[in-house]
Amino acid sequence: MSAAIEVRDLRFRYGEGTEALRGVSFSIAEGECVGLIGPNGAGKSTLLLHLNGLLPESLKGESSVFVDGTPVTADTLHEVRRKVGLLFQDANDQLFCPTVFEDVAFGPQQLGLSEAEIRERVTGALARAGIPGFEARAPHHLSVGEKRRVCLAGVLACEPSILVLDEPSSSLDPRGRRELKELLRQIPITKLIATHDLELVVELCSRVIVLDEGSVVAQGPTVELLSDEELMLRHNLEKPHALRHLHPH
Amino acid sequence: MRHDFLDRYSRLDSPIHRLPPAVKLVSALALVLAVVLLPPSRPVFLAAVAVVLLVVAGLSRIPWPALLWRVILLEPFVLGVAILALFQPGGWRLFLILVARSTLCLLTMVLLSNTTPFADLLRVLRAWRMPALLVTTLSLMYRYLFVLVDEAQRMQRARASRTFTPRRRWAWRTMATVVSQLFIRSSERAERIYAAMCARGWR
Repeated sequence: MSAAIEVRDLRFRYGEGTEALRGVSFSIAEGECVGLIGPNGAGKSTLLLHLNGLLPESLKGESSVFVDGTPVTADTLHEVRRKVGLLFQDANDQLFCPTVFEDVAFGPQQLGLSEAEIRERVTGALARAGIPGFEARAPHHLSVGEKRRVCLAGVLACEPSILVLDEPSSSLDPRGRRELKELLRQIPITKLIATHDLELVVELCSRVIVLDEGSVVAQGPTVELLSDEELMLRHNLEKPHALRHLHPH
Repeated sequence: MRHDFLDRYSRLDSPIHRLPPAVKLVSALALVLAVVLLPPSRPVFLAAVAVVLLVVAGLSRIPWPALLWRVILLEPFVLGVAILALFQPGGWRLFLILVARSTLCLLTMVLLSNTTPFADLLRVLRAWRMPALLVTTLSLMYRYLFVLVDEAQRMQRARASRTFTPRRRWAWRTMATVVSQLFIRSSERAERIYAAMCARGWR
């Protein structure tokens, strides 16, 4: 069986010359929840964009990214984007409709579903994201936490088989973070989470990939890797508090 | 500019707010057409339209000062054009009629947009089979107006917090920087929004 996500020697250079990815390779099995960590500017967001084929330059030539065994190319874009749901870092980029309903319905509409099916998916997705009944609200009047949930609902409404999240817990309050972790735990599909929130990684991810300066510098079981204080400090990270004590929090 | 300036009143509850959006849109368009097309020799017509609008405004429960303020804000555009009429013989009459007509049209649109949530208007346009690209553009414009206002406000505050000796020339120069920054940020944001749309299957 092919891996849910497979990346082989992925290289990418931005137009202005920045070499963002210098030969990244890893693979994620179906059902796995993997953390992607690394300092600012390591290439995490660039890597995630590749999983949806969102950098037009990268679609030229041979593909280094495979989703369920399918190479990401100009011809497979729509299939890949249907399978891989991407949650963006800035909620304002993702919420582009005047009402929550329309925003969550956007994906299903693009899939060409019927009115009734769309309504059903929106209601279901809002409930799964923990904000039932938000249909008529205007995105610009929501709090950061609520916006994040609407974004998540918008992605879930497309019923992806792989969820890719870019900084899902950033600028959330502690309670929002806790609830988000609970929500993510209840979504049983393959997940790749790029984040600086190492506590979240410890709680949700069984495996981590450490990215620095465009290369994978380490990957392995979460607890083992994050406990390696020297490795963590070398890459602008730190050993999470949760791994310092044995008592439960 | 306050963040909720644009649609603070569009979700009030009044007989006018409860009317179906399609009805309001049609009536508003009809009124504007009437104001523009009625013969200028009969100012009575304009007075009649004014009375209708004032009644609607009263029923809508939008505070009068707010309504007035919105019309005044848009008035410079009208005056800019109308003033040209003064440069011809008998221009005064023409000037007055131009101002009256444009003000009535403005008042109509201000009333429409303050009694109907923008999302509802867009839905009507979609139902009327307006070109999808136009409706999408309008909807994105409305949505990101708020983000833009927020962003401008944040930059304004950040600048103010480091302005210790306000000098006019400096103020203008920094204003220019803020505007250009806003432009660059908007175009970068547009790219990210497009990516987000593609990620959910936009084609």
